Amino acid sequence: MTCQEFWDAMPELEGQPGADAAAHLAACAVCGKVMGNQRALAAGMRAAAADWRRTKAPNRVEAKLLAAFRGQAGLAAPPPARRWWTTALAWTAAALVVAGAFLLFATRGRQTQAPANVPVAAELAAIDWSARLPAELAAQGAGEGFITLPNADRLPPNEDLNVVRVEVPRSAMIALGYSVTADRAAERVRADVVMGSDGLARAVRFLDE
Amino acid sequence: MADAPAETDDELLLRMRSGDEQAFVALYRRRQAAIYRFALHMSGSAAAAEDIIQEVFLALIRDDCGYDPERGTLSGYLFGIARKLALRQLARRRTDVALETGAGEPVPPELAAGADQLADLTRKEGVAALRRAVQALPERYREVVALCDLEEVDYAEAAFVLGCPVGTVRSRLHRARSLLLEKMRKERGAGPSGALKPVRCEI
Ligand SMILES: [Zn+2]
Repeated sequence: MTCQEFWDAMPELEGQPGADAAAHLAACAVCGKVMGNQRALAAGMRAAAADWRRTKAPNRVEAKLLAAFRGQAGLAAPPPARRWWTTALAWTAAALVVAGAFLLFATRGRQTQAPANVPVAAELAAIDWSARLPAELAAQGAGEGFITLPNADRLPPNEDLNVVRVEVPRSAMIALGYSVTADRAAERVRADVVMGSDGLARAVRFLDE
Repeated sequence: MADAPAETDDELLLRMRSGDEQAFVALYRRRQAAIYRFALHMSGSAAAAEDIIQEVFLALIRDDCGYDPERGTLSGYLFGIARKLALRQLARRRTDVALETGAGEPVPPELAAGADQLADLTRKEGVAALRRAVQALPERYREVVALCDLEEVDYAEAAFVLGCPVGTVRSRLHRARSLLLEKMRKERGAGPSGALKPVRCEI
């Protein structure tokens, strides 16, 4: 057996050499040395892999992804109670009954400033999402154009927020004061949703109008 | 009593697609660590690896990872996305130098003449040196070492992730290991390897 044949037959580091290969290994000092080093390397790699085995993604990644998952699941399909636009619609409807001032909120479209005489809406609309979002998102202009959703007031001050891009039926825009014609209601539009770590949507902006 | 067999990735994915949060969490927890480590090996940066793992699973959540169970495993797809993202990041801050020496052809056994037998690499400092050496490998060797040696992905799956034949995985791995040995010898002061002529043994 030549050295080349030996290595052709022994590409792996782990296996036991056959009789021919073992004979070559015993007779050839060079291959013996190379093999010894390869095995030392293999042992080192196994040790490195074992040492490395405990390393995993930081827990905050799971929290963010879970928020994204809830956003996507809640926006795209079941269960109806978790759909933010139905919540927003109900809230808006109730608000309309309670005070005419809420009409302003429901019809203000993309405007994020509400009149000062509408305390709840004003409080909500006053949230500066550019300031609340992680710096890298805000720096890309990701904080602009968001419409604050009613549950944003339950957001803790240092909440870890994330922006998730989703697709929703155009009809979802109605809840936020956009006019949508019946023939286009079923169309899908892209939206960015600000999610808290609890998976609840706090603000939304539409990318396709 | 034997435990019920764990759900497969595909079963979890199916439940996840129907909005089952626990299925998503189970799938994430099952797969995240290996993919995160792979991203870390490839990018050399914890921040980059965190971005990558997040993007990989967001692609899964949005169902735009192009997964087709007929063509490969879910794990393979996730590694594949992580790889693309890592390579994209690396392209942005390309610093590939050092050990790049040739294409991925099978390599004849070579030995720097007079090189010492390598000492134990399983000790702490050996492992640390090995990690640095893996980091210094050119991308196409680093990815195969990270997958096959560090994450123990089998050759067929690695071939799927890398989009190349299994034979190429083997030959790159072989080449990568030679480069690692060379690097380790240098690191252990066996002298500048440029001064050592590669010798092919002729028996
Ligand atoms: Zn030989």
